Amino acid sequence: MYKLIKNPQGQVATVLRLADNAFIPMDEQNTDYAAYLKWLAEGNTPEPADEIKGE
Amino acid sequence: MPYGTVNADSLVSSDGGVISPNINSLRNRIINGAMVIDQRNAGASITVNSNSGTQFAADRFLVQGTSSEGVFTAQQLSATPPTGFKNYVRVQTTTASASPASGSLYAMSQIIEGFNIADLGFGAAGASTVTFSFWIRSSLTGTFSGSLKNGNAYNRSYPFTYTINSANTWEYKTVTVAGDTSGTWQTGNLGGLIVYWDLGCGSSLLSTANSWQGGNYNGVTGSTRLISTLNATLDITGVQLEKGSVATSFDYRPYGTELALCQRYFRKTNGGVNTEPTLYAYGDGSQVIGQSWIFPVPMRVSPTTTTSGSLAIGNGGSPTILVSPDSYFLYVMPSGGGTVYYQPNGSYRISFSAEL
Repeated sequence: MYKLIKNPQGQVATVLRLADNAFIPMDEQNTDYAAYLKWLAEGNTPEPADEIKGE
Repeated sequence: MPYGTVNADSLVSSDGGVISPNINSLRNRIINGAMVIDQRNAGASITVNSNSGTQFAADRFLVQGTSSEGVFTAQQLSATPPTGFKNYVRVQTTTASASPASGSLYAMSQIIEGFNIADLGFGAAGASTVTFSFWIRSSLTGTFSGSLKNGNAYNRSYPFTYTINSANTWEYKTVTVAGDTSGTWQTGNLGGLIVYWDLGCGSSLLSTANSWQGGNYNGVTGSTRLISTLNATLDITGVQLEKGSVATSFDYRPYGTELALCQRYFRKTNGGVNTEPTLYAYGDGSQVIGQSWIFPVPMRVSPTTTTSGSLAIGNGGSPTILVSPDSYFLYVMPSGGGTVYYQPNGSYRISFSAEL
């Protein structure tokens, strides 16, 4: 399971892997992000991002 | 006295030692070949019973196992290295698997980044010959195996064997391999060439020795399986892969250089009080509070970030970490106006992984 995370500008900027609270950057050459994309392609949906103060 | 020219790949002394290898710096394509850097475990033993892709015996040396079957441990040691070395890695079977299933994976490997093999010209005519060498010691004797393989595609393999003649005795092994003129070989920041030591893979990951072949193989059919003998040990150090047909003496690099090479793929913060990423700031509570930190070495790609231990946080929530290949930004949401701080309390560490 994953959750989307916003940057201070209010844009989704990273993915939180809930199993170990790992922040996974949205970089296709990162092996963990590649695994996330595969998970998405299997029809899964991440939890939405929380709102950011000052957004 | 007249001057002359010597044309040679290397100069060899009368006792067989190479005294003047090809005069290239960084000729060893293996990083941390002397097993001196162990950022993740600091010499502690790890248990390998899965193929998570995240366990390393020492920096850059991936260890992979199989769940619900054999189990082995891996550890950086320093008790009895071969002459000229300080450290080695030991893998030891703690739960034996007499007959691993066909697809079972038991191996130690290093994935060499494509940038670092680009000059070898693999995948085309004229590919360079390479020589793989290492020091090894085992409680077992017999014919063991390993392989060279293309990274990323995992469909070109060169399985090879080596013989351990005497139990519990350091032996030096070399394997020279003509470069592969077929297949797809990455030459950028993806996996280029992988070197494997087979620890007992199942039959579908094994093949015949001494030729490049299409397929994903980690070793040779019929070779000794460390995973099948309870308490069996295999020690490795002095690992080198170099261009050419001569195994030259080990390419020692300064500790700081070796650490920096490792930190392109993995880095862990210090964790001490007042060390990175300590921040004290004041705000009105309406904006996030954070700070950017520069990596000492640009990483291969934007890294995955995990944390361990506890971070003292004042007037704020749990931190969020955003990354790029050369820096990270850690921020917290303040609980209200006033001073916000976060500070490692001696145990908090951030790990950044950009492994292949």
